[in-house]
Amino acid sequence: MRPHELTLAAASRAVASRELSPVELLDSALARLEEVEPRLNAYVAVTADRARAAARRAEREIAAGELRGPLHGMPMGLKDMIDVAGLPTSGSSRVRAGHRADADSAVAARLADAGAVLVGKTHTHEFAYGLITPQTANAHDAGRIAGGSSGGSAVAVAAGTAAFALGTDTGGSIRVPAALNGVVGLKPTYDLVPRDGVVALSWSLDHVGPLARTVEDVALVLPALTGGNPATVDGELTGLRVGVPCNYYFDHVDPEVETVVRQAIERVESLGAVLVEVELPMTRYVQAIQWGLMIPEATASHERTLRTTPELYAADVRVLLEAGELLPAGDYLRARRARTLLRREWLRVLEEVDVLAAPAVPMTAVPVGQETVTWLDGVTESVSDAYVRLSAPANITGVPALTVPVGADRAGLPIGLQLLGRPLAESLLLRVGHACEQRVTVTGA
Amino acid sequence: MSVLTPGEAARWATRAGLSLPDDRHALVAATADQVHSVVSVLRELDFGNTAPFREGDTDATA
Repeated sequence: MRPHELTLAAASRAVASRELSPVELLDSALARLEEVEPRLNAYVAVTADRARAAARRAEREIAAGELRGPLHGMPMGLKDMIDVAGLPTSGSSRVRAGHRADADSAVAARLADAGAVLVGKTHTHEFAYGLITPQTANAHDAGRIAGGSSGGSAVAVAAGTAAFALGTDTGGSIRVPAALNGVVGLKPTYDLVPRDGVVALSWSLDHVGPLARTVEDVALVLPALTGGNPATVDGELTGLRVGVPCNYYFDHVDPEVETVVRQAIERVESLGAVLVEVELPMTRYVQAIQWGLMIPEATASHERTLRTTPELYAADVRVLLEAGELLPAGDYLRARRARTLLRREWLRVLEEVDVLAAPAVPMTAVPVGQETVTWLDGVTESVSDAYVRLSAPANITGVPALTVPVGADRAGLPIGLQLLGRPLAESLLLRVGHACEQRVTVTGA
Repeated sequence: MSVLTPGEAARWATRAGLSLPDDRHALVAATADQVHSVVSVLRELDFGNTAPFREGDTDATA
């Protein structure tokens, strides 16, 4: 096994015991990058020289007995919405040409303090406003979409060019690409991870979180972002109440996805958990709240450049930003008030169960260029709306949500299980996720 | 539901301080109509005294 194929946890243990040096680990990741990046295009920019200097510094510190923690010397990717001092934050957009960040974002600073080594900035759907990430190919099948908006981060992790990565999630942008590429993605509780120095899409819904190849790996990254204690991921589930939705989450879901997800839920039950059927309230209003918050906030966030350089935006993003100018304040306020109601109702459900278990996305990665999906009952939905549909509730409520790979469809494309919990219940989600994850090995289409 | 005409879209955008080129009026009107059709579902709700959600009240910062 080459070093880049190790999980973050295994690489971290090898570095701590000095069986592996951070320089060897980085060299392996960069060699892997040479192999796969021409096909996958996960990175906006690779910072190899800077990474080599950081890896050498980590090697010296560890040799001197100054191990900073489990991320010391670990190669990472940061979504190019996240400021790193001295580097451009492009948002994968021509609008940002010539940008240089003056200072580190809070998360970049924390990861630098933890000794992580930045391999590069990863691609996003332009300004995180979309679910495709068209620049980047799926790690399992280059003819299929990476998903988004943190597509570069998910593909870099899946392909082994980063041991972990950070993404942002406004309506599923960590969980969707994680699910479509067979890696683990965590959208933490709203405001748990600081967003300072991260380009905003929608202040009400934006979250920053980790992607990695295993639940154990994600559990190592989270404390570095929050300053909290590491979670125990022992997989102990006895007596845990697992809510299985009888509405919404299994509506308009591909049968293969439903089968694999239900099998994963049965495994959780076989490990001692108690399954409880739950009905989720106010689901009729999920999309309306999501759009009513996100669309005017994104337009406000881009107000200046929409007036000065509108032609530099991609067509799909530009028209949404323009249309956002026409949404009345009354609609925005209704969305904010409805968010209060929906959150209150969902937290009541989460008093009855410890976690909710559901599909991460209704279908696996679609072929590049596919714009709509037609369900068995004849209902047609845009691909983007379908991918957001099962993710948005956790953005609106702010509750933590974890996606873990639990199997694959007949074409070999990964399927993700989504676990949602009460606010600040990340440790519990990681425990359940660890018990049912089915790891997918490093891949590169 | 009333449909926004391209001319109305252009006028509303101008009132918001955004000057739309002529060739964008119809596309922006159609997109704004789609957004309206989704978001207007919230008018069904009786909000009573419900206040808008405030970010400062969230769990991680409480």
